[in-house]
Order: sequence, then C-alpha cells, then structure tokens
Amino acid sequence: MNPPAPSAASPALLESLVERIDVGVFAVDRDATIALWNRFMAVHSGKSSAEVLGQNLFAVFPELPRPWLQKKLESVFVLGNSAFTLWELRPYLFRFPHTRPITGGLDLMRQNVTFLPLRVSGGSVSLVCGTVFDYTDTAMAHARLQDAIAALSKEKDAQRELIGKLEAAQNQLLQSEKMASIGQLAAGVAHEINNPVGFVNSNLQSLKRYCEQMLSLIAAYQSAEAQISDAALLSTITALKQALDIEFLQEDLPALIKESEDGLVRIKKIVEDLKDFSHVDESDWQHADLNAGLDSTLNVVWNEVKYKARVEKNYGTLPAVACLAAQLNQVFMNLIINAAQSLDQAQGMGTITLSTGHQDDWVWVEVQDTGRGMSEDVKRRIFEPFFTTKPVGQGTGLGMSVSYNIVQKHHGRIEIDSAPGQGTRFRVWVPVRQTGEAAP
Amino acid sequence: MSIDFISDEQREALQEVANIGMGQAGASIAQVLGEFVELSIPQIRAVAAAEIPAALAALAGDGVASAVRQAFIGELRGEAIVIFSEHSAHDLAELLCYGDALDTPASRELLLDIGNVLVGACLGGIAGLLQTEIGFSAPSLLADQVATRQLIQAETIAARCALLVEVRFGLEKRAFRCHLVMLMPDDAVAALQRALDRFIEEL
Repeated sequence: MNPPAPSAASPALLESLVERIDVGVFAVDRDATIALWNRFMAVHSGKSSAEVLGQNLFAVFPELPRPWLQKKLESVFVLGNSAFTLWELRPYLFRFPHTRPITGGLDLMRQNVTFLPLRVSGGSVSLVCGTVFDYTDTAMAHARLQDAIAALSKEKDAQRELIGKLEAAQNQLLQSEKMASIGQLAAGVAHEINNPVGFVNSNLQSLKRYCEQMLSLIAAYQSAEAQISDAALLSTITALKQALDIEFLQEDLPALIKESEDGLVRIKKIVEDLKDFSHVDESDWQHADLNAGLDSTLNVVWNEVKYKARVEKNYGTLPAVACLAAQLNQVFMNLIINAAQSLDQAQGMGTITLSTGHQDDWVWVEVQDTGRGMSEDVKRRIFEPFFTTKPVGQGTGLGMSVSYNIVQKHHGRIEIDSAPGQGTRFRVWVPVRQTGEAAP
Repeated sequence: MSIDFISDEQREALQEVANIGMGQAGASIAQVLGEFVELSIPQIRAVAAAEIPAALAALAGDGVASAVRQAFIGELRGEAIVIFSEHSAHDLAELLCYGDALDTPASRELLLDIGNVLVGACLGGIAGLLQTEIGFSAPSLLADQVATRQLIQAETIAARCALLVEVRFGLEKRAFRCHLVMLMPDDAVAALQRALDRFIEEL
C-alpha cells in the first residue's frame, strides 16, 4: 500500500476539520509536551489550546495515571503501533464532566482512547496522537442492559428454584401415594387373610378338643389291654402299636396342635400390625399411642432388621399423641430401615435402640444405631429429595425427605446426632397436641 | 493437514520473514518492557477450522487460560490471538506500570495491553519486511479464565481453514509465558502469497 498522496484539500481545511470534529484529538511528543489540542478537548477540559500547547501533559493534568500512561505512550513511540484504552475496563482517561447536567446519568464522560503513532517526517514516530471518543451514552445503555439481564437472571433463578420445589413436591406426592396404595393393599390382604385364619383357628380348637378326647379313649383302651385273653388279638394289637409307634404319636399330636396354634397367633399378630401400620380406615388426625405404633412398625420391618441387629427397647410412658399415625409409622419405618442399613455386617450384629420419652407438651421417639455414622456433608444434605448414600437401586433418596415433611406437618422436628464411625441417633419430636386443639 | 495453499518456496520465505520479524520484535519488546525477551522459532502450519480450538488448547496445555484477540487489517488480514496460561500475565503488571492490587478490570486491561504490544511488534515486523501497510483493531478479550478447550468455539469460526503461525514468548527472568497465534483465513492467503512472491523476487 502506498503512503497517501499529499492531500488535495488545503491545509486550512484539514486544520479546521481536526479543530471541529466531534472527537477529542490531541498529540504529544516523546517528552509528553502537548503539540495539538482540538476544540473537543478544550471544551470538555475547560483548558484552551492556548493554555496547554507547549505544556507538559502531566503538569496540566496531574490526575492522569502517570507511570502507566507514560509506559503506554512509550510503547507507541517504540513499536510504532497504536495502543488503546476501553471504557469497559478503564472508564475514562481524562476527568471530563458528563454532558447531561440536567437529565442526569453517569458522573464522568466514559471514553475509548486510541493512541496513534504519527511519523511527521517519515522514519521514526515523532508524535503520538490521542483520539478520545465519548462512550457515555453507550455505557449508560450498557448499564441498563446489564440491569435488565441481572433482573432476568434473578427471575430465572427464582423460577428454577420453584421448578425444583415443584418436582420435589410431585415426587413426595408420588411417594406418599405409593405408600398409601401399599397400605391399602396390605389392609386388603390382611382382611382377606383374616377370614380363613378365623375358621382355621376355630377348626383347630375343635380338632384339639377331639384329639384330647380320642387320646383319653385310647389311654383307657391301653389300660384295658391286660384284660384281653385272646392271644391272637393281643399280638395283632401289639404289632399295630409298634408299627404306628403309638407312644410317639400320643406325645407328638398335642405338640403339633400347640405349634399350629402358635403359628396362627403369629399370623393374627402380623395381620393386625399390617392393619395398624397402614391405618387404612383412619387417615384423619387421631390420638395414638406411639409406643404401639413403633412396635407394629418394627414387626413390619422385622425381616430387614433381624439378621443385622439386636433391638433394644427403652420406652417411656407416653400420653396419646394427636397425629396421623400411619404417617408417623412411615417415619419410624424409614429410621429403622436406615439404621439397619447403616450397620456394617462385617462387624457382626449391631444394636438398634428404640427409645421414647415425654417432656412438657412434647413426646420424642428415638432410633439409635451403632452403624457407620454420617459426615457433616451427609448430615447437611440428608433431608434433600433424591439425596442417597445407598448404592444405585437400593435407595430412592426420598425416605428422609418424606419423613421430614411428615414431621413438619406435625409441627415437630427431627434432631440428628451423628459422626463418622460413631453411629447415628435420630430423635423425632412431636407435640402432644396440635395447635387449636384444646388440652384434655 | 499439509500446507497445500502456499508453495514450498512461499512457505520457506514466510518462515524466513517470520524468523527475522520475531528477532526485530524481540528487540523492540525488550525496549518497551525493559527486560530480555525469549522468542521461539515460529511454527507455520495450515489447520481446518474445526481443528483450531484443539490446536489452541494444545498450545496452552491443560488447565485454565485467557486469550486476547486482535484483528490485523490491510493487504494482510486476519486475527491474532494471544493465549495466557492462568495468572501468568500478573507477572508483567509491574513492567507495564500497573499498581500492585489488580482488580478484575485492571487485570483484563493488562492482558489487552500485553496482547497489543506483542501482536503489534510481531505482526508489524512481518508486515515491514513484506513492505505492506498493516493496521490493528483495538484488542478485545476472547476468553477469561476458561478451560483451554473452550478458548474458542469451532462453530463461531467463519473461515474454512486457516494458516497458523505460532510463536512462544517468555521473559528471561520471569515465569511469564504466552503464545501468539496469527491466523489468516483461507481467502486472505492469496494476498500473503503475492506479498511473499514480491519478497522472493527482491532477494
């Protein structure tokens, strides 16, 4: 590219253009002596060109960041390339008042400055020309835009949080619906089992009585054997007695009936517990004995516990508590299952201690284990929906969050005391009476 | 990808011009910073647009980096990118007379200033040797403290492929290191070829 041809325009025209253009134009030599100062600079700085020409830039404007600017000017002189300042990073170079004394806005004019190398007589750079562009309007628009973006992103965060809450609520709903239908199913099964268990039990009682009668008859016959004189008959009876092992039969028959009775009692107990646990007929607030609730819950989850832990009970005397018994049982179930799962089976049987107590208008139920315990991080997050420390497929991460909400619904609270390796103690506090309920 | 859009002779000339240009640039940068500058031999290669992000990441290594871009305009045109590994530029604050406490705007301005000096010196040197006028846009921040893979997004690159000239910078007494990459889009390479041919004829 060829250097521009000497301008056809007259020097006077060019001078007037530099003077009148709506951009700050100034120039300094290597000693920072001002060699050019156009009207824009004069108007905004309040210093006319007559005042500043021939003066040192830093003497006239002592507020300029001197070492930094000197370095910048020096780099333009040495490298012969432009240098820049941008309002976004350095709002202004010169402290010029803004142009909105009435309508208001920013305190000082925002500026982009370009430092151009000027080679007046060819060869090396003899002057650096600064062009100062007013970016105040852009900066104000930018600030408004930033405010709008901040407001939008705040709104978006709030929305995201709401969506999260909605998801959690929906999942809890699903979970509690699932629990409710499991409860209904359990109650249905319990009801269906009750009928056959009833007639089996009734028949067994008759069977027991008949057996006793038959056995006493056989005993009477046996004692009459001595009176039999027919040797052939006697030997047939003796052979039959031996073949049947009649003595064992007489002994075992009552034992078998007793065992069957015990089995029936257990079936009845399980059925009752299932009904208690699900409280299908009683989904409203009721006054319940939490010790009984804890016992029936333990029976329901006994299979999860029995090979892993001894269970110690330490129940206090509790008043009847106003509660949604089925839901509180669900909390106890979660706590007991978590306690059992926290036990390290490699260390043999652990211990789960169930305690209850009563203090003022509150009752508490405590589930303590000798398991792994929890870190601070786990403790902090334990009530978060979907937070689980269990392997994939074992925990939904909903149990504790559902429990938390159930206890909240009772205006109660859950206390945690746990440290890694020290086991965990959960204590559920619920008020004896709910607000608005008269003391008995 | 081989450099198939400039001839071997042109490539040698470009290497020569870049070597001399970097030598001159090193001297003038040392004059500005007041410290001795170490410059690697420029590496020249052609890359497809999709490979540019990976090429930049390979230069910067693992971790976090920042980058400044600046356009060069004239017969030769393209963009120069200066890549700074994490915080290494803070080392130069003192040399460019920045205060001790660098807030975020100041540390960004420092990156732009360093980028402007390096790009101006190196590309100015090459343009001078090729006897062509070159101008520069104001530098702007391309990436601030991002993973090196994300310095530039492949989707945003308009060119099909680019000629890439890479130089490593260091200061003898300091930890500061950076990479300067000069990228010329494929459709601007013809002008470079003409300039190189002129240079070869005049040898």
